[in-house]
Amino acid sequence: MKNITKHIKKLNILIIAITLFSCSEDFLSPAPTSALNAATFFETEADLEAALVNMYDGIQGVNSTQSNDNHAIQVEFYLTEMRSDNTRTKSSEGEAAQFESYSIESTNGIVDDYYRSFYNVIFRANTVLAHLDVATSENLAKIEGEAKFIRAYAYFNLVRLYGDLPLVTSVISPVDTDIQFTRVATSTIYDLIETDLSTAIGGLDNSSKLRGSKAAAQALLAKVYLTQGANYTEAQQLCEAAMGSGFTLEPNFKDVFYSELNNEIIFAIGYQEDSDDSQNFSAEWLNAVGRTSGVNYTTSDVRTALDALGGNRTLYSYRVDTDQPTQFQVVKYLPEDDDALGITSNVTDRTKAGNDWIVLRYADVLLMHVEAIMAGGNDTSVQAALDSFELVRLRAGLTADADGTITKQELLDERRVELAFENHRLFDLIRFGEAQNILSAFSTATGGSFNATDLLLPIPQREINLSLGQLTQNQGYN
Amino acid sequence: MKNKFKNIIWLPVFALLAFTIQSCEDQFEPAGANSKADETPPMASFSYSQGQGDGEVWKDYSFANLSTSATTYVWEFEGGATSSDVDPTFTFPGEGLFMVTLTASDALGVDSVFSETIEVVEPEIPNAIVPEILEPSFEDNSLADGSGDGRDSWRNSALGGVIQITSSPVQNGSQAAKFPSAADRIAYQELTVSPNSDYILTYYYTLKTNNSGSVTVSVLAEGGHADLASALAAKIVDFEGSDQTSSSDYVQVNIPFNTGAQSVISILITNQGEEARVDNFSIAAQ
Repeated sequence: MKNITKHIKKLNILIIAITLFSCSEDFLSPAPTSALNAATFFETEADLEAALVNMYDGIQGVNSTQSNDNHAIQVEFYLTEMRSDNTRTKSSEGEAAQFESYSIESTNGIVDDYYRSFYNVIFRANTVLAHLDVATSENLAKIEGEAKFIRAYAYFNLVRLYGDLPLVTSVISPVDTDIQFTRVATSTIYDLIETDLSTAIGGLDNSSKLRGSKAAAQALLAKVYLTQGANYTEAQQLCEAAMGSGFTLEPNFKDVFYSELNNEIIFAIGYQEDSDDSQNFSAEWLNAVGRTSGVNYTTSDVRTALDALGGNRTLYSYRVDTDQPTQFQVVKYLPEDDDALGITSNVTDRTKAGNDWIVLRYADVLLMHVEAIMAGGNDTSVQAALDSFELVRLRAGLTADADGTITKQELLDERRVELAFENHRLFDLIRFGEAQNILSAFSTATGGSFNATDLLLPIPQREINLSLGQLTQNQGYN
Repeated sequence: MKNKFKNIIWLPVFALLAFTIQSCEDQFEPAGANSKADETPPMASFSYSQGQGDGEVWKDYSFANLSTSATTYVWEFEGGATSSDVDPTFTFPGEGLFMVTLTASDALGVDSVFSETIEVVEPEIPNAIVPEILEPSFEDNSLADGSGDGRDSWRNSALGGVIQITSSPVQNGSQAAKFPSAADRIAYQELTVSPNSDYILTYYYTLKTNNSGSVTVSVLAEGGHADLASALAAKIVDFEGSDQTSSSDYVQVNIPFNTGAQSVISILITNQGEEARVDNFSIAAQ
């Protein structure tokens, strides 16, 4: 007993000693000398370069089947193509099937995945912008332009999917709940997007397809204007500026997808096969190769359109699922060989595919050019529009517009078959004012429950819970 | 110990009694007086969009139901038609003002009514803007407010000196523009136009015949030009007139052009080598 008391006394002295030492700040928060941290990281432009690359890493997403990881653009097809009349799940299973039936729950994990992924991308862009002071004057405009291009791109995706959004324009901490959980009007979000893209156009050049470029910012700003149904003349000028930047259509449609970084690509998210920088969406689109039994399978609706209007694009758009011949898969972005189509892939593990995701390509800009000239009208016969339209049609093995007048319906159809399964269809329908008509008819035919409020996704319930109810939910969701 | 036991026995008895009395009270309360209010009553709301397309599609309206906490809906369209769809479409008979009323109800029978009067208008295909060229014939006092020296609308000192005015020969009115042979004077004017539209610019010129020379009228993209070289680089179309058959007879020129992605264009007149006169501008949309 006595011994123990002695030991306790010794221990007390030790505790006192530790307490005394701990008063020194260095002891509590020593600056690591061999590792980087947020407070000391940004010292040179090379650190900013790493932060820029980090933005693309965020968009790329993690190749995993863990629901808690940010998969970013790898799950975008669920929220866009599978919510349009283009694709569906193969087996109508699980939360993935909520999209095609328009019965999306606010607890849907994919809805949450995309939301938090792209706010994380915004955080990464804001991190760059917060440390522009270490940039050299020579590169300042380019670095700022690149970060603002990515921030605008992320907000543009989010605002079209979720509507009013929290506006985060700086690096915030968890206690900044008012910024994090106050939704501002879409018009305010669009103001930021337009300002950011204008800055990007001024600061960037066309030196990369895998990073933000001037042409990408021009094309994106044109799409932003078209989406708002405003500034059609500016949109046309932006398209023409991007069109005059050296991009050309690939003569063979297949090469758009199987010849990476080809002449048609304006902006793509790069992936590297069999590595940590690979993607798994290509595998998910196959029959039980990825985690699902098969998603983003084509609808009969889109196959009818492709058969009628696709020209030689149809062959490289969908194919029979040989394991289940009543089903049809997407051909774009295949992670495997298809001898019949002459497609080869050098990936070993199909769930670690290297196919880049195309965000903007020249054909999209040409068709936006037609749309800008149409300027919200029902048709156009302007020669410049006919010329752009003809380029896309000729590459598809078709002829120019027969009667010299491109109608809105013809343009919408052309976009559908040219850009099928590239996550454009839903946004096109909304932009053309046809979403409610077409999707309610489609939903009726396929047994879904489409309502007008399904044109926006729910704000993820997880965010609403974190906000303690401060974040409001979109109409039509609980 | 005995006391404690006593207490234990009595506690449930009292409790039971208390509950019984309470529940009796509830039973004899008038119905609804103590019931819960409908904490989420319906709130009716909707938006709508006009059909876009050829023919009569403009009469077709799609309605988007934005009601909350409701389960059944009744839509009433002025004229007597009704619908119980969530998001109905309706074809109006024609142009006019029509009241649309949405009654949203929940399962408790609580209603909310929202009405809006919709103005149905057939969209007009906008005609191309016909721009107004100011002081087109270089006449004095021809501006809207009765002022002007015939060339006030044509000045741009960053591009060149101001033109002179001649009274003979003229093609129209009593004055025309004169560009001396030194070729250091210009005329410049900005016009608001419709993009992607065809126009024809018409004017008349004549050249003196002592030296070989010409007069050029250029149509430039955009406005705000402040440098001659970059202004000429922005040209959409130009015409160099070099007909020196007669120094007193005017020659008519028609320049057709398409405005492309421009909502503002500029006219720039320069001359080369010999004194030139220009008169009577007009522009027409095709």
